[in-house]
Amino acid sequence: MEREVLFRIRRFDGDKSYWQDFRFTAKRGMTVLDGLYYIKENLDGSLAFRASCRMGVCGSCAVKINGKPRLACETQILDIGSTLEIEPLDNMPVLKDLIVDMDDFFRKHEAVKPYLMREDDDYENPKELLQTPKELHAYYDFTLCIKCGACYSACPASATRSDYLGPAAITAAYRFCADSRDEGKEERLSLVSGSEGVWRCHFNAECSEVCPKSIEPAKAVQKMRLMSAIHMIKSIFR
Amino acid sequence: MSESHTRKVLEPFGWVFQMITGLLLFAFVIFHLYITHLTSHDALEYAKVVQRLSNPAIKAFYWLFLASASFHAFNGLRAILLDTDFGGRNERAVNTLTMALFVVAVVYGGLLLITF
Ligand code: SF4
Ligand code: FES
Repeated sequence: MEREVLFRIRRFDGDKSYWQDFRFTAKRGMTVLDGLYYIKENLDGSLAFRASCRMGVCGSCAVKINGKPRLACETQILDIGSTLEIEPLDNMPVLKDLIVDMDDFFRKHEAVKPYLMREDDDYENPKELLQTPKELHAYYDFTLCIKCGACYSACPASATRSDYLGPAAITAAYRFCADSRDEGKEERLSLVSGSEGVWRCHFNAECSEVCPKSIEPAKAVQKMRLMSAIHMIKSIFR
Repeated sequence: MSESHTRKVLEPFGWVFQMITGLLLFAFVIFHLYITHLTSHDALEYAKVVQRLSNPAIKAFYWLFLASASFHAFNGLRAILLDTDFGGRNERAVNTLTMALFVVAVVYGGLLLITF
């Protein structure tokens, strides 16, 4: 199966932003990322976009396709239709064409300390940490995040408050707080329970809607919020 | 990331009470509509209102209604303001102002209720 398709791409050259149309024949099996490479190789070499693994693992290629943030490499052109409007992600400054500056997004990720924290950290004498399947499943789904930024782009709270931690970072915080091996819960909870943290979520759940890994960041944010509320109310009476 | 006391208390309590007052308001509004519109045709006449409010239970009900509505409204306003960058930069002022408005509304409304 083949079809003539129109790629309308929102471009940005550092000064101005404009739409540019590209037409070509898409074959069955061609992803949006393949389409972008086709354009770059045959129609306009100046088109800029980001990609690496082309198999839904690295999280580099997220862009807005017909208004919805998705991974370009996991979206079939023919599934979308014959006109595809492609834009850079929202809530992050655009650097060039489809490439956005994700510094802030990653800095927020880093801010919640997304790693196991333990008293007995000793790299010289590593120790095995056991976990039951039940303990593993309490957080497993949330380990699947590939940091693509799709959720952050779709989040209305990230749109109005620039220092809001955002769904991905709070999900990462929850992933470690729900891990039976972790001992950093207190510290992490205090990091996500400021006014720029969990309280800003409107539970719009748009993040869960767009997450290419279906990990439901909205659920993690709600759980994290409940955990923070209980923790903070308890701490007053301590 | 400052560690002021208000931010520690207000955020979780604000969230919990916003839910509680939301549920309460639902029941209160129905009860209020019931006694003002469904019990009799002249329930809204001045004399009838005064008569109703002479009952301490009704007075207490309206005061709780007022407290829930004011909290829900001003805490909601607080959340809306904090959802913006401007609010985030002026977090303290937003918290103080909205909670002061809540207290003023409850006290002023309470005084009006007592005079009946
Ligand atoms: S939570 Fe989902 S949408 Fe958000 S960064 Fe991770 S993989 Fe992407
Ligand atoms: S290129 Fe790696 S996720 Fe799409």
